[in-house]
Amino acid sequence: MLPNENAIETINLTKTFKSKTQDSNRFFRRKTVSVNAVDNLNLEIKKGELFGLLGPNGAGKTTLVKMLCTLLPPDSGTALINGYDIVKEQMKVKRSLGTLFSVGERGFFWRLNGYRNLEFFASIYNVPRQKRHERILGVLKLVGLESSSFQLYQKYSGGMKRKLALARTLLPDPPIIMLDEPTTGLDAISSRNIRDFVKSTVQETGKTVLYTTHYIEEAAQICTKIAILKQGKIVACDTPNALRDKIKKEEAIYLIVEEVSPAQIEKMRSIQGVIDITEKNGEDLMPNQKGLCVKLQSVDQLPSIFDFLFKQKVKLVNFKREEPSLEDAFIELTKRV
Amino acid sequence: MAVWDELEKIWYFMKRDMVSFSTYKTNIAVLLLTAVFGALSFAYLGQSAVSQSVLQSYHMDFTTYLVIGLAFNTYLGQALTLVQKTINPWALEEVLVSPTGLTTFIIGSSIWGFIWSTGVVAIYLFIGVYFFGVSLSVNIVGTLIVLALGIGTFIGFSMIGSGILILTKQGDPVTALITIATSLFGNVLFPPQVLPPLLRAIAYVTPPYYFFTCIKLMLTGWTIAMILPDLEILALMCFIIVPLGYAIYAWCLKTARKNGTLSWF
Repeated sequence: MLPNENAIETINLTKTFKSKTQDSNRFFRRKTVSVNAVDNLNLEIKKGELFGLLGPNGAGKTTLVKMLCTLLPPDSGTALINGYDIVKEQMKVKRSLGTLFSVGERGFFWRLNGYRNLEFFASIYNVPRQKRHERILGVLKLVGLESSSFQLYQKYSGGMKRKLALARTLLPDPPIIMLDEPTTGLDAISSRNIRDFVKSTVQETGKTVLYTTHYIEEAAQICTKIAILKQGKIVACDTPNALRDKIKKEEAIYLIVEEVSPAQIEKMRSIQGVIDITEKNGEDLMPNQKGLCVKLQSVDQLPSIFDFLFKQKVKLVNFKREEPSLEDAFIELTKRV
Repeated sequence: MAVWDELEKIWYFMKRDMVSFSTYKTNIAVLLLTAVFGALSFAYLGQSAVSQSVLQSYHMDFTTYLVIGLAFNTYLGQALTLVQKTINPWALEEVLVSPTGLTTFIIGSSIWGFIWSTGVVAIYLFIGVYFFGVSLSVNIVGTLIVLALGIGTFIGFSMIGSGILILTKQGDPVTALITIATSLFGNVLFPPQVLPPLLRAIAYVTPPYYFFTCIKLMLTGWTIAMILPDLEILALMCFIIVPLGYAIYAWCLKTARKNGTLSWF
């Protein structure tokens, strides 16, 4: 049998929740509504990949993470974690995974210090007792908490609590780590520290990381591959650049021009190959300047635009090619479902 | 090796609870004072009680009867609520994703509570013996057997109550019912022989009655053979309620996981 290259693989994974809705006029009449939190999901994450799972609130990210870590049984389908089935080989799956939940800091014991908390979790995660002390100090140092390891957990700041949760995730040294919205609620510096730490951990140790977030640029900064999830389905899965390219149907250029009249803009619209022109009022404009976003069928039409401006004696101050952001891609792709 | 690993995990559960508990210093002082004053007040009550004739069949005075009843009521109160205390939803999720089994989790989470309760029982008995002339003649083996059966039975009830709580999120009717049954029918503060016939009949089908009857007799010089009929009934109840409680708890936990409602509190 060939060795499995995938660290995480889902096969038609499905989870449906039933919830009761209440008609405000009819108190006792309740309807049961089924919501497909994860819908027939097929996903492959290669070993050593830093994989981002992006999706709006309620897309099914946390449900997927909870199923992968065996906390939530799937309704149908299954998933393989490090080659182990999440339904049939739960203990082996648990030994292969470290999971950080979005409210992971709530699972600590507030009256114990950081070291004692990790000591407890090291025991239940079967960290060998000979290596336990060394390992705890190691992960505390790794997340930058070595100087506050004997401080009571209740005195930790939000960022420190999240770092300790990250340390707990790394404690058993699992080959696969799942981080469910690890920077939610943190300030910019703490968020960046965690992102940098995750990225360097993957680079140095070769671990596979599944990183869920609804912050688009965060995923773009650190992930090598991103899947966009909506209503439990993957609507796109590729590298950040490839996702941007997916929505790039036409070329767009941004022109800053001086002394252009509305009539001249109208004339410009009639140039062959121009799809649309919209005015953009950026902060970088002088009072006599206008910003024009010109959508073209192809970049080949660019010389005719410049020629037109020259003939009309419209002064071109600056121009740049407009690239769609990952945010554009995210909005466009999630709109399509 | 595996057993040793599980025992070590239980030790760390206990250590976690002990260290957490030791930080609540005011609470410890209040609990100790409650135990001392509880023992004192009920010992005085026992000395002044007039209905001691009912207890002639037990061959013990009312003070001894009360002090033992109250001491072990604390113990069983601990057993009855211990599984509920473990269902902090976030801590539960963190443990459930670890390679640690449910049995180790339940035992580990309860052990410190029992150690503390043993200390409270010791305070009750110490005050009773040294200040109020309570006379104890302990059948150690018998006491341990009765304790194991009683604690097991009450943990069984605790698991049933916790399972219901995991699903309903609020309201644990089992704990409330058993607490009431213990005070009314449990042979803790008064013998059920003083109750009207119907209530007395109910007392004879409740586990607390058999536990308190047996433990009181095992601490006052009776032999196992002398209490065997009651002990057999207690054992039967324990062997039914413990697996039933475990099955109900495991089923409720599985259902809550399936519905994704484990952390909905």
